[in-house]
Amino acid sequence: MHLTLEFGGGLELLCQSTKIHSVDVKPKPGEDKLTMRDLLVWVESNLIKERPEMFMKGDSVRPGVLVLINDCDWELCGSLDTELEEKDNVVFISTLHGG
Amino acid sequence: MASCGGGGGECHQSHCQRSEEDGGAEEETRERVASLSFAGDSPTSSATGDGALERCTKCGETVAAAAPRAVNGLCAACFRAYLFGKFKLAVTTNAMISPTDNVLVAFSGGPASRIALQFVHEMQCISLKNWDASKSQALPVFGVGVAFIDESAISIGPLHEMNKVIAQIRSIVSTLSPAHKELHIAPIENICSTSSNDGRIRLNELLDSVTDATGKEDFMKYLRMLTLQKIALDNGYSKLLLGSCTSTIACHVISATVKGQGYSLPGDVQYVDARWEVPVVLPLRDCTAEELNKLCHLDGLELLQLIKRPSNSINSLVSSFVARLRDENPSRERTIVRTAEKLRPFCFNKFVENTYHEFVPSRLRCKFQNINNSETALSEVLCPLCGSPLSEPEVQSLRNIQEKTQTPVENFAAHCCQSCSFQILPKGAESLQQFYTVLPQSVTVRVTDGTSDHSQLGELIDDYLLVVDDDDDDGT
Amino acid sequence: MEEGGATARPRRATGRLCSTCNQRKAALKRPKTLEQICRECFYSVFEDEIHNVIMDNNLFKPGERVAVAASGGKDSTVLAYVMSELNRRHNYGLDLFLLSVDEGITGYRDDSLETVKRNEIEYGLPLKVVSYKDLYGWTMDEIVKTIGLKNNCTFCGVFRRQALDRGAALLKADKLVTGHNADDIAETVLLNILRGDIARLSRCTFITTGEDGPIPRCKPFKYTYEKEIVMYAYFKKLDYFSTECIYSPNAYRGFAREFIKDLERMRPRAILDIIRSGENFRTATSTKMPEQGTCERCGYISSQKLCKACLLLEGLNRGLPKLGIGRARGTNGLNKRVEQRNLRSERTGSNIESKQCGTLDF
Repeated sequence: MHLTLEFGGGLELLCQSTKIHSVDVKPKPGEDKLTMRDLLVWVESNLIKERPEMFMKGDSVRPGVLVLINDCDWELCGSLDTELEEKDNVVFISTLHGG
Repeated sequence: MASCGGGGGECHQSHCQRSEEDGGAEEETRERVASLSFAGDSPTSSATGDGALERCTKCGETVAAAAPRAVNGLCAACFRAYLFGKFKLAVTTNAMISPTDNVLVAFSGGPASRIALQFVHEMQCISLKNWDASKSQALPVFGVGVAFIDESAISIGPLHEMNKVIAQIRSIVSTLSPAHKELHIAPIENICSTSSNDGRIRLNELLDSVTDATGKEDFMKYLRMLTLQKIALDNGYSKLLLGSCTSTIACHVISATVKGQGYSLPGDVQYVDARWEVPVVLPLRDCTAEELNKLCHLDGLELLQLIKRPSNSINSLVSSFVARLRDENPSRERTIVRTAEKLRPFCFNKFVENTYHEFVPSRLRCKFQNINNSETALSEVLCPLCGSPLSEPEVQSLRNIQEKTQTPVENFAAHCCQSCSFQILPKGAESLQQFYTVLPQSVTVRVTDGTSDHSQLGELIDDYLLVVDDDDDDGT
Repeated sequence: MEEGGATARPRRATGRLCSTCNQRKAALKRPKTLEQICRECFYSVFEDEIHNVIMDNNLFKPGERVAVAASGGKDSTVLAYVMSELNRRHNYGLDLFLLSVDEGITGYRDDSLETVKRNEIEYGLPLKVVSYKDLYGWTMDEIVKTIGLKNNCTFCGVFRRQALDRGAALLKADKLVTGHNADDIAETVLLNILRGDIARLSRCTFITTGEDGPIPRCKPFKYTYEKEIVMYAYFKKLDYFSTECIYSPNAYRGFAREFIKDLERMRPRAILDIIRSGENFRTATSTKMPEQGTCERCGYISSQKLCKACLLLEGLNRGLPKLGIGRARGTNGLNKRVEQRNLRSERTGSNIESKQCGTLDF
């Protein structure tokens, strides 16, 4: 599944200062759907190069990291359980960096 | 106020002097520590100068290395005396227990309430001894009872577990002699109905209608307090003694802040809380959970293994936050409590003076006679769901609503503080009505006469009409 | 959707409608009210709330010259944008300008200043920059070269606070507005409880402080959630700078901040509840503020003979950089009393608080 991932608000520092990543992510073996829960695991192991604790806490993003799926607050579309679709655009923004 | 704290972590001389009365118990501890340390740490500590053995920073007596370091450089006996000293100081300077009192100790089986029970017992023993020795025997010795709340109605554990626990409590209480201590075991559902079965059903219905996890916990805590109050009232107790320690109070300070209860917070953190029918006292306020745990361990006190419900409430988030702060800085809990201490307490945070000052040592009397009663009891309306005094904006909105509302439910809801309205009261008129119907009478009765508490009416009359000979029990 | 809506395409059958206009697709869930709301309605409710806070609290008078503290970060960028917008829309009649502090941190502040300079053009607000070098004779780079990476945040924090006040005074401002948001204030309430600082606890929820001083400061974002500020900046494509300070990359990893964010996830209204607690604390009326005098060297408000900045500078210039930090020992007898007082406020562990850097202290 082709996705565009965007990191902002300082999170880009965790992935070699690249803000936009064009990626292909496959659903877990035996499943045909890719959820945000799966995507987070994938991002943590494939894109985050340092201080993963700034991105994840438990199985979700660290509180204070905002997530938008196609410019819509993920809290409105099911958070971790949101099912992703081809060509989705997922944005992660940290609110934790300086004001 | 600040003088009562037994400041900080350091040990003041007076706390650590071993009074003769405690001798027996301490000798025992000393032996236990000695055996502990010999079993544990062989004298490997290569301290120079004084030799291989560590000295207690208080009594200077040498004790083997293992134990003293675990207790702030004090030997076990001095550590014990230090904690008992803090307890005793809190009791005497706040006139918590007078000779005519009948004290009910709330016992949960945890280390704090276990130590509270132990210390009250020891204090009673000392008084008994003094009474025996005195010629006149004019002053009576205060009585002690123990209350345990059986929450099996709402817990998942099997019934026989509870029977085991109760047997254990009986055996603990029976070892506390001389002076017999009545044990009261009250099922929590009794607050809802006198019939056990009906009570269970009503209690569970009540709790089910509170959807917020934090709200449910806080409401339970309140029902526990009401249950203790009922036991105390029904059995003629004049004081209710809780084992709240620095650590639990520190958590409460943060939780209350987070729930928007900043206004009412100072009322909850004082040594004395007389807003209840039976006044509540917190003599372990200056001891941390860590200290109490340690003492339980040193004294080999038996604790109950109660299953903790898993919780994802704000309260448990707060306690893990406070635990983390404590790991970073062990004195953080004290600092938090000290901050709350600097807030202005309420008029119910002291005893009505004329009842108690005669038993207070003269040097302390002034403390109780110079109370400036600038704040009248009139200003405090208490929330019927948590007992918090309402803040000015809350009282204002209550007055506004009261002008319009007529039904008892609406009136009840209007009296609840903002925090309870959010986390406890069900939303929607129908579920609210249902909730109100199942509420124990001891809760609903708290709003019927405009003010939430009869004792405040009493105080009010005292203040305004100068009624002198009020034969009613002042402690109510 | 006027700005930057290009990436949004119609999708997900479950897309819910805005609870306010009932027409457009909801774009976010408001933490304050839990409403789902579309972008356009979000913009107007976000701006209206700030306008109401300004009006209800009488933050400004027509004709006032107001400095907007601008660091280039999210809060101050959104603040500059919204202030300029509201000033125009509601005819506040304010003479607004951006005030930035150049700490002299190569690769950090010079980049964020670029951001502020772009804001200057975009929002049509003149920019004034005051530098540590000009005010104190030292850049942060030079200070770090002298003292190393320990305590550098103390210097930076003390210097920045004064720099804003001095810059504002220099530029004849009547008021200074800062971008402190609701999350920041909730965190400060908690920190003051953790430190036992009752005087600050009673003040830290004031929307305006320093009214008796030369330049009052106010916080129009006092009730604005950080989440909404970031969402607003994102949707409006506002240009802000979010790189961490190179000298303290982990400064924002505070316990208290993390706790607040955990809380927000569990119960979003908790942030406002903390502020409400802070406003309602029964602080004794007798809680005294330290007497305000002035520093005998620079004339800045100070409760001591020397203000904190001058004390730190004294240390730097005499080659005793620990002066005013650390313990009282080894200070060659300079004003021990002053020092111990100062020490009291500095002693608290740095890891409980967040954002000493990159933000403006209270």
